[in-house]
Amino acid sequence: MDAWVRFSAQSQARERLCRAAQYACSLLGHALQKHGASPELQKQIRQLEGHLSLGRKLLRLGNSADALESAKRAVHLSDVVLRFCITVSHLNRALYFACDNVLWAGKSGLAPRVDQEKWAQRSFRYYLFSLIMNLSRDAYEIRLLMEQESSACSRRLKGSGGGVPGGIETGGAGSPGTPGGSLPQVALKLQLQVLLLARVLRGHPPLLLDVVRNACDLFIPLDKLGLWRCGPGIVGFCGLVSSILSILTLICPWLRLKP
Amino acid sequence: MDAFIRFTNQTQGRDRLFRATQYTCMLLRYLLEPKADKEKVVMKLKKLESSVSTGRKWFRLGNMVHALQATQQSIRATDPVPRLCLTLASLNRVIYFICDTILFVRSVGLASGINKEKWRTWAARHYYYSVLLSLVRDLYEISLQMEQVAHGRAKREKSPSREPLGYSVADEETEWLQSFLLLLFRSLKKHPPLLLDTVKNICDILNPLDQLGICKSNPGIIGLGGLVSSIAGIITVAYPQMKLKTH
Repeated sequence: MDAWVRFSAQSQARERLCRAAQYACSLLGHALQKHGASPELQKQIRQLEGHLSLGRKLLRLGNSADALESAKRAVHLSDVVLRFCITVSHLNRALYFACDNVLWAGKSGLAPRVDQEKWAQRSFRYYLFSLIMNLSRDAYEIRLLMEQESSACSRRLKGSGGGVPGGIETGGAGSPGTPGGSLPQVALKLQLQVLLLARVLRGHPPLLLDVVRNACDLFIPLDKLGLWRCGPGIVGFCGLVSSILSILTLICPWLRLKP
Repeated sequence: MDAFIRFTNQTQGRDRLFRATQYTCMLLRYLLEPKADKEKVVMKLKKLESSVSTGRKWFRLGNMVHALQATQQSIRATDPVPRLCLTLASLNRVIYFICDTILFVRSVGLASGINKEKWRTWAARHYYYSVLLSLVRDLYEISLQMEQVAHGRAKREKSPSREPLGYSVADEETEWLQSFLLLLFRSLKKHPPLLLDTVKNICDILNPLDQLGICKSNPGIIGLGGLVSSIAGIITVAYPQMKLKTH
């Protein structure tokens, strides 16, 4: 009980719970449609999803300030690439929340002349940019970690007397492969890279969580902007997974990726 | 901006801000309705009020667990009167939140067989009981504080008094009222959290009194009361030392 009180005292936590419920409704609605459930039930689920969406927009009023503050903090980071990626991502998020506020004003009747479609498209565009920045930052962090890991590996191999054939040395530090690179060697290199990636991600749960979350989130604006129509089922599933993962980062703060 | 973000990161902080907005709209609507050319503004205020009120329901989901925890805490109070009052108040709040959740389920269309009026009356009644019991506790604490202040003054006045005894009997009653009010003012000034809590509860009780028909007032008074109590709530969230503690 104490844990719930502490968790729900954060407004972000409640918003994430609503998000999870919204995407669960979307997924449920799609499943019910496929299995031919009654139109009455489908209408109820769609109505609930609509209520959740509007409620979430109200819960998010004021999140622009939060995103701007995070962008301000990110400007002071030491690493140039991280600084750029994180700041731009937060700025795009701030713009996304601003468009979202306009949509709320339109939906709640305060500004009835708001073009819902246009502003929705705008908001998804900013959301997409922000996710792309997040994924770029994740890719950069993964690359750094892979380089670290591979140089640590090669140091350990050299230290143990180098009893391993030279071809096993990964190309992370730019070691020269055989000129021309035959297919089995390329396949081996690729396999090693994948193993290294798996090792890095397994050793850094916050990074893995962030990558999975951003990748799942990516499907939503791609579908809504019409760039890659994946269907409501996949959108609902991905939204649900990303909401659950972000709830996890709220419950366990050590799982949050720190710059 | 940092303080604003820390404030809005708490659910209660945001909820109080929205509540203040909701009751400001109610108050403004009451003030602007009689004016002829302000219909559009009044319409917009009504829409804002209703959408904020609907959205706030999302903030209240799950609050019955908070109220249960508050009940647990109040059972451990040392003084019997606050213990009884606060425990009963928290229990009533739990029932209020249960009724509120049921009304919410009805409003999102999940269960259409619910009698909205009945549950709304129940919710209002239990909210009324909870605020009333909190007020009783506040009055008890005020009386304790006044006793303390009076004793403190009496001790100080054992020293050679210089008060003139030459006032007539007719003035004695107004003098009594005056000294009572002065004592009340002094005790509340010494104890700002108690003052804040009392003001909040007095303002909060106006709405259920109107809803239950015990004391009908107009939307302007309810709006003003709601706004003042929301501001008091915002102060307690922003400055936790202003929250009235149970001993």
